[in-house]
Amino acid sequence: MTLATVVDWSALLKTVAGAFVAGVGVTLVFSVAIFAAARFADLSRDGRPVGAAGYVALSAFALAAVAAAVAVGIIVVTTKS
Amino acid sequence: MHNDVILVIVVGTALVFDFTNGFHDTANVVATSISTRAMAPRIAVGYAAALNFVGAFISIAVAATIAQDVVEAGAITPTVVFAGLIGAITWNLTTWYYGLPSSSSHALIGGIVGAAFVAAGPDAVLGDGIVGKVLVPAAIAPLLAFIVGAIAIVICYRVAGRQRPGPVARGYRLGQVLSGGLLALAHGTNDAQKTMGVITLALIANGNLAPGSDPPTWVIVSAAAAISLGTYSGGWRIIRTMGTRILKMDPAQGFSAQGAGAAVILASSHFGFPLSTTQVISGGVMGAGAGKRVSAVRWGVAGNIVTAWLLTLPAAAAIGALAYGLTRIFGTGAAGPVVISVLGVVLVAAVFARRSRQQIPAPAASP
Repeated sequence: MTLATVVDWSALLKTVAGAFVAGVGVTLVFSVAIFAAARFADLSRDGRPVGAAGYVALSAFALAAVAAAVAVGIIVVTTKS
Repeated sequence: MHNDVILVIVVGTALVFDFTNGFHDTANVVATSISTRAMAPRIAVGYAAALNFVGAFISIAVAATIAQDVVEAGAITPTVVFAGLIGAITWNLTTWYYGLPSSSSHALIGGIVGAAFVAAGPDAVLGDGIVGKVLVPAAIAPLLAFIVGAIAIVICYRVAGRQRPGPVARGYRLGQVLSGGLLALAHGTNDAQKTMGVITLALIANGNLAPGSDPPTWVIVSAAAAISLGTYSGGWRIIRTMGTRILKMDPAQGFSAQGAGAAVILASSHFGFPLSTTQVISGGVMGAGAGKRVSAVRWGVAGNIVTAWLLTLPAAAAIGALAYGLTRIFGTGAAGPVVISVLGVVLVAAVFARRSRQQIPAPAASP
């Protein structure tokens, strides 16, 4: 019995990759949403509506991407491996 | 007839174990959300309990691992499963009493393995499954959560850290509603499935299910309800002790830690790896702390995790083996499990009474 034979390295590697992409990716996109929302608030206060509209669109897009990523993640987990 | 009595005792014991698992782990799931004020304590506890319940339904891969890859199902009897549960519960209570770190999941697997070893010999223990499905993933998962948590917090600070603190903190608090919910969902799916696996193992051993069967619906529902009720009950205790044990984190750290823990547990659940959720969440919290400032992390916690990792499996296995031996003194019927259960309840009541007396402060002197 060696580790090479008893461990399902493919499943373990997919676990590591999946957790890394989901954890880091969702954090990155959600942080972009927060950044864009904060910039939107600042530009709105400064009376720059065009720039503000760009940031609110970016924030909405990032939030939608986070929601989609979470939904896909849950669908993948509920599907038998 | 006596086998059915043992089966009822086993199912009841497994659900009690599931309840205590939820009770113990509430702090891990909700502490970060409460600490950063992302959610009010009562809402956080109710939210976690509800998502624990839902989480138990989203996968059965971990239950299949417990039922098929840890011990040889054909060599197992309901008494073996009962003794394994007694080993796990005893070890959990002992470590709780002395304040030692412990993993309920590793205690459960250790207890079952120890009882199976004594009952049916070494061939009943599936070494390949234990190493490949339990030990190696258990070593990798907390480290992975640490790395993901550390990278996530660096990203948070780099991307949003230069904006005004108020909106950023509010944004990450909102994010914690999502990440905390996912963590509760992940906890429900990985931990409730261990109980489902054990009950399924007992049902197979008793001839109620064919080997290789999935958990029946009533097993999934009862395991979901038990862990959810445990989380809810444990939550009220956490609320009362708020401010004494909760880690201080900012909302971005809370979001990163919870997101890392949820991602690792959910990915592992999909592939049927039974993890210690406590250790994974601790890894995420430490990673989010280290990503901000390495010296802010209580590195002693890492030492405790390693110690618990090394101790829990063999200790629970030894107690499971002893419990099986004690049960067999009374023969192969239901008498052994009944006597051991009654003794267990009396012992637990005595331990709780002693613990309660120790915690009651001395009355003030009369003027």
